[in-house]
Amino acid sequence: MNAPEATGLGVLQRALVRGASLVVPAEARAEWRREWLAELWHVRRACAAGGRDGWRGEREATCFCLGAFQDAFCVRRHAERRPALPGWLEGSPLQCLLVLGAALAGCWLAAAMLPGVRAERSLQSYRSYAGVVLIRDANSRNDATASILPSQFRAWAAGRRLYFDDFAFYQVAPRRVSAGGSLTGVWRVASASSNLFALLRLPLEFAQRAAADGLPAMVLSQRVWEKEFGGDPRVVGEVVRVSGREARIAGVAPRGSWRLPEKVDAWMLVPDSAFAAGRAGYVAAHLTHTGASLMWAPRQLITEYGPHDTERDLLGVSLDDQMPPPDAVFLFAMLLAMLAVPAVTTVSMGECNFASHRPSWQRRVCRWGFFLGKVALVLPAAYFASFDLAYARSTPYAALPVYLQAAAAFSLCLLGLSWACSDQRRRCPVCLHRVTHPARVGLVSQTFLGWNGTELMCMGGHTLLHVPELPTSWFATQRWLYLDGSWDFLFAG
Amino acid sequence: MAQDAKLSHTAAMILQAVDCGFVYGFSIMEMTGLPSGTVYPAMRRLERELLISSRWESQSIADAEQRPARKYYKLTSRGKATLEASRKRYPLLARLIPTEEAKSL
Repeated sequence: MNAPEATGLGVLQRALVRGASLVVPAEARAEWRREWLAELWHVRRACAAGGRDGWRGEREATCFCLGAFQDAFCVRRHAERRPALPGWLEGSPLQCLLVLGAALAGCWLAAAMLPGVRAERSLQSYRSYAGVVLIRDANSRNDATASILPSQFRAWAAGRRLYFDDFAFYQVAPRRVSAGGSLTGVWRVASASSNLFALLRLPLEFAQRAAADGLPAMVLSQRVWEKEFGGDPRVVGEVVRVSGREARIAGVAPRGSWRLPEKVDAWMLVPDSAFAAGRAGYVAAHLTHTGASLMWAPRQLITEYGPHDTERDLLGVSLDDQMPPPDAVFLFAMLLAMLAVPAVTTVSMGECNFASHRPSWQRRVCRWGFFLGKVALVLPAAYFASFDLAYARSTPYAALPVYLQAAAAFSLCLLGLSWACSDQRRRCPVCLHRVTHPARVGLVSQTFLGWNGTELMCMGGHTLLHVPELPTSWFATQRWLYLDGSWDFLFAG
Repeated sequence: MAQDAKLSHTAAMILQAVDCGFVYGFSIMEMTGLPSGTVYPAMRRLERELLISSRWESQSIADAEQRPARKYYKLTSRGKATLEASRKRYPLLARLIPTEEAKSL
């Protein structure tokens, strides 16, 4: 048996048919697939015998295979006795807007449920520690190495300040924590200056004023609060014991809000004199206006002049977010996609027609309103979908999701906008239903002297659309033919 | 009554094509210019409504011609009656897809 489907694309086309057959109920699948594969064989042979060049023949055979999906869904719908869409809804603008609305709702729902996306969206309110720098010894290995002693911090905090108006210090160590008799565990607890959260401008959830009993305040990370306390807000105000010392829970730090070095389960806010002497920690400092004007690079060398002409090199690491926020990334990608749309599809709405007939201005307004409605649904859907794709499995402040979101937003906006344009060109200017029943007309041209095209018809009987196969200088774009009363017999109900 | 059944223009075109001897799905597509996603679902509906019936050709014929066996369709008596009614409703149908008799005139 000859096998015209033995090429690479032939294998792909057979795979398409086999893929479509999975939609067909199992009891009818084998016969359904047999018929389609047999017809595909003849289609490919006809394309080869008809003298069509390779690419065009393959395209026709592939289009044939794509129709298998429509057939498979029809067979399945009938087997499940699902009612087909009512005739007035099929291809109508309402159906289009409903589908887009459902897609938007799905993307929004996914964004609301995926933890990574929720965390990233909640971070947007405090993603930048504006004007805050981390100060470390210039000779320490990296930013995550504690290098400042408490005595040094106290000297800075008490000294004359020209470049910094506030300092905060913290040391991290594993501590045994017990609460309510039953809960006991070892947490990574940061002993921190009481002004740490104020300096970072981090709002605490369920924050309580310090009690008059003089116990140090403890701030829980959201992870620990959810894991150890089941996310119960009533734990705020309770007393816990940290390495034998009591502290009162004063609030919860939102997930992802902590961006300074070291992973921390809880922060115990203590007086500056209470830090363990001789153990290095980290210093965060808030820049004055003068200091901010000098902090022109993300990392700035700072020289400290001590007594007896001693010098020490320090490094100020800006904690300003270097990555753009997701909304700005999406807007930029959307702008690029809008500029790129004319490169992938024609932006003409196919207003050309064979006669001098012009639709009324109300119909033109409706048509443009429908187009803008589609765009207004497509872009938010692309916004949420790009968020879902980029941040579904990401950690806060990672760089990769930003690039992923940019790529996804650009692709989805480009796809959505070009679809909106091409869909608009296939909608009857009178009733906005999609034109259907494509039929090839004219003789196939081998010499460019013949003329060939596709005609589609509005099933409401308003218009007929002619799309030229080969755009020429005198007939470059599709044209509408407005049907008069003499066509009514075709559409008699 | 079958004669009273109202068909869409597409279904009537397919019935006319089958009546004119285009008995395979692909040949109907070529004749009518309709895409596969329209022709095959329409034929399944026509078959469910008993206007056409299908049968697999003999495997021995296909083997002799070194090709896969095809499923072919033919009009039922009910389909013929419906097609007659459709020709009255769509007068251009016979001119779009003329029968062998009409061609010979």
